[in-house]
Amino acid sequence: MPLLEISGLAKQFGGLKALGGVDFTIDEGEIVSVIGPNGAGKTTFFNTISGMYPPDSGVILFEGEDIAGLTPDRIAKRGISRTYQNVRLFPNMTVLENVMVAQHCRTSRGVFSALFQTPAFLREEEEIRQRGKEVLGFFGTRLTGYRFDQPAFVLSYANRRRLEIARAMAAQPRLLLLDEPTAGMNPRETRELTGLIGKLRSERGFTVVVIEHDMRVVRDVSDRVVVLDHGVKIAEGTYEEVSSNDDVITAYLGRPAGEGSS
Amino acid sequence: MTTTLPRATRGLDIDRRKVIVGGLLAGSVASFLSAIGMVETFDERMIIDPILSLGYAALVWIPVLFGYRVSQRVALEGMEAPRVGAGNVLAGALVGAIGGGMLGLFAVLVDAVNVRNVLLNVTPALVDLLSFHQPVAVGALLLVAVGAALGALGGVAHLFNPRVKSAIVSGVAWILLFSFTELVFGDIFDDLGMLSVDRLIYAADRGLTLGAALVIFGGAALGSLRFKGRASGAVARFQAMPEEKRRSRAFYFAAAVMLAGLLLPSVFGSYLNEVLATVGLFMLMGIGLNVVVGFAGLLDLGYVAFFAVGAYTTAVLTSPLSPNIAPEMAFFEALPFVLLMAALAGLVVGTPVIRMRGDYLAIVTLAFGEIARLLFQADWLKGTFGGAQGILRIGKGSIHTYFGYVVVASGVVALLVGFLRWREGRRLDRIGGPARLPGNSTPGLGITIMAGGLGAIVFGLLFPSFATWTVTGIDSEAVFRMVMVFVAIAAFVSWRLQDSRVGRAWMAMREDEQVAESMGINVVTAKLLAFVIGAMLASLGGALFAVKIGTIFPASFKIVQSIIILVIVIVGGMGSLRGVAIGALVLIGILGGPTQTGLLREFQEYKLLLYGVILVYMMLQRPEGLLPSARRSRELHQEEFLQDAWIKTQEGAAAVAEVAAEEAEEER
Repeated sequence: MPLLEISGLAKQFGGLKALGGVDFTIDEGEIVSVIGPNGAGKTTFFNTISGMYPPDSGVILFEGEDIAGLTPDRIAKRGISRTYQNVRLFPNMTVLENVMVAQHCRTSRGVFSALFQTPAFLREEEEIRQRGKEVLGFFGTRLTGYRFDQPAFVLSYANRRRLEIARAMAAQPRLLLLDEPTAGMNPRETRELTGLIGKLRSERGFTVVVIEHDMRVVRDVSDRVVVLDHGVKIAEGTYEEVSSNDDVITAYLGRPAGEGSS
Repeated sequence: MTTTLPRATRGLDIDRRKVIVGGLLAGSVASFLSAIGMVETFDERMIIDPILSLGYAALVWIPVLFGYRVSQRVALEGMEAPRVGAGNVLAGALVGAIGGGMLGLFAVLVDAVNVRNVLLNVTPALVDLLSFHQPVAVGALLLVAVGAALGALGGVAHLFNPRVKSAIVSGVAWILLFSFTELVFGDIFDDLGMLSVDRLIYAADRGLTLGAALVIFGGAALGSLRFKGRASGAVARFQAMPEEKRRSRAFYFAAAVMLAGLLLPSVFGSYLNEVLATVGLFMLMGIGLNVVVGFAGLLDLGYVAFFAVGAYTTAVLTSPLSPNIAPEMAFFEALPFVLLMAALAGLVVGTPVIRMRGDYLAIVTLAFGEIARLLFQADWLKGTFGGAQGILRIGKGSIHTYFGYVVVASGVVALLVGFLRWREGRRLDRIGGPARLPGNSTPGLGITIMAGGLGAIVFGLLFPSFATWTVTGIDSEAVFRMVMVFVAIAAFVSWRLQDSRVGRAWMAMREDEQVAESMGINVVTAKLLAFVIGAMLASLGGALFAVKIGTIFPASFKIVQSIIILVIVIVGGMGSLRGVAIGALVLIGILGGPTQTGLLREFQEYKLLLYGVILVYMMLQRPEGLLPSARRSRELHQEEFLQDAWIKTQEGAAAVAEVAAEEAEEER
């Protein structure tokens, strides 16, 4: 059984058909890239999976159960967690608090245990803190040490992106949705992050869907590439297959050209 | 290489535009204060017996302050530091003269033309007062002269060094403090049997004696010279302490304040106790609203509704005169129902506004506040809530506190908690390592808590008279103690919640609701929880208010109450417990609540004006509030914080080096 199985996913905003019946599957342990020109519906695709908008039609089976139309917090609890194209951290919370708050759906202590600070509460707080630190350690020393207590808005752009990934990891999902994780990074940072995306699977066991514009990253990380254009899947396959597909080249360049590597 | 810097100003070079604008502003403010009757009302109160009344004091500060501000020269970077000298004094004097002239003109005008149809407070007595009991023309000239002199005084202030300046300011502040708190000190000296001291300080017909004023000024000024910087040094040292130590210090400080709050009322005298009980009530509600607005970021403008629910539920359940339902419960029997009703009210208000944000939420909650008041006032529910006549004899005028039982019961709870802490501490000691962190249990902490619990049990059993300790509404001392206990509970609740999973969820929701939701936070529950907890804390305030006053009417629950509670939270510092406490002390303690008087009884009529002035000033100069939470001040000063983080700390330097290294590598 695939981890995520989507069929006929459609979403329309007024007259604009953002998604027109997309089918998509991903197996446990795969890394799949979603590419496409601007306005192809990639982010809408993520937004409907993560529950920010309910889809107009279609089925989203996650671990065999339909999650279409559930609220975002339910979906997060089931095990899908995401990052945003334009980084959306909690800027005035500290780095550590950002990853601590992401564990909300994996923890349960409520008002009363907080009031009386029961041993169970203190233990859980400690676990949340430790797990937060551990997740931040995934990025080497970039987000650790004195960074723990710095507010997130102090971070450099690349570090914000890293923190956002760490926050998504801290929610302990099975499926990670990364929306343009390398946008705005310099080549060196991009290379580093490409390696880390691979480690997300090999070391942490996440299944990853990634929206990406940098074709080198796409080539290096993905098992499979899905191409969207105008809300429709126009191609799917390995990087090599997709990059030589005529439809894809047309979508990107607007005319059939002979040699097409983007 | 040295270059001559462009010169800022020459010695006597005066910015004419600034002087004229400043003078006209000063004159307008002075005329305004006179026209609304402040000067005349305040004239009855003396500050320093023969020479200065509060009425004149309300005018005196204007030329001094404007003179000071206008003659201030800003040192610009890259410019020669402006020289201070005769130019400052001249500018100050001119500002004062223009201001005084304008006020004089005002006096002449209102003397010649009768404007009392429009401005009720412009009386012949006011004109007489403004012209120093001379003919108006002479008085106007005198005003120019006095204005010039005072303005010059403001200008002269620039010639002093900062230490002297702050010494003078603190001298004046202490004189005002002693004079404003005359009634309070009178009561305290009376209670301590030191009436002779009272006679020494205060003149027979109110106001400080000249000698006392001089002594106070001298003492305060000397004290300021001697101890300047000590307080901020202590604060800095406190902030430099490690987290664990800071927590325990803060805890001891809070405990000391609580203890003082329980012991001091017996010497405070009834007036101060009355004022402080009001402060406590508003502090309680401020703490509650802070949970909703400060923590969860939900701007609730109808908070008074929950206050009203608390008050009315108490009234209906305890008063024998409540129309239909009158179970005549005791206060503490009714309290669980009060909390229950408030929680329900929180849900009722919270549910429809779940999907609203910002302005829309504010407007809808504003409407809910009014709806609540109108329901309590409606004839339709007159059978339950008494309509416009309200409900009388709430709590039959007294509260049986079962204080002794409460003490024994909390002792038992403390024993249990202490035991659990002790066991947890032992467990952590066995594990050792990273689990042993500040804030976690230690066996010692457990034993301390157990000892405290044991002490409470012994205390409760030894003094059985406490078991029937009864508070009557008119006994302001006991009421104040009760209020303190409730404030402590509210503060404890909100302090514990702030640093928990729930508090973090609120924080995230305040930052970015959509993202918080997709990180797995159920915003519906989180919002409702904030509303319910806020409502329950407000209902505690309402319950106490009802028994304290003994009678409630719908008119006590107007919108202005909600606004004032919000102003307390904003002025004190949103999201900060200390801030709310200070906000309530400053605003309610000094100016008074919407219907209650504060220390400055004379300000009663002009309270809302002053609230407005304070709020505008705070928003312009210190939007994060008096004692903001660290997070909030970071938020409002991101730019400065970024620079600090970047430049001042070693980490910043390290980060600079790191980026440089990266760039170097990139080029290779």
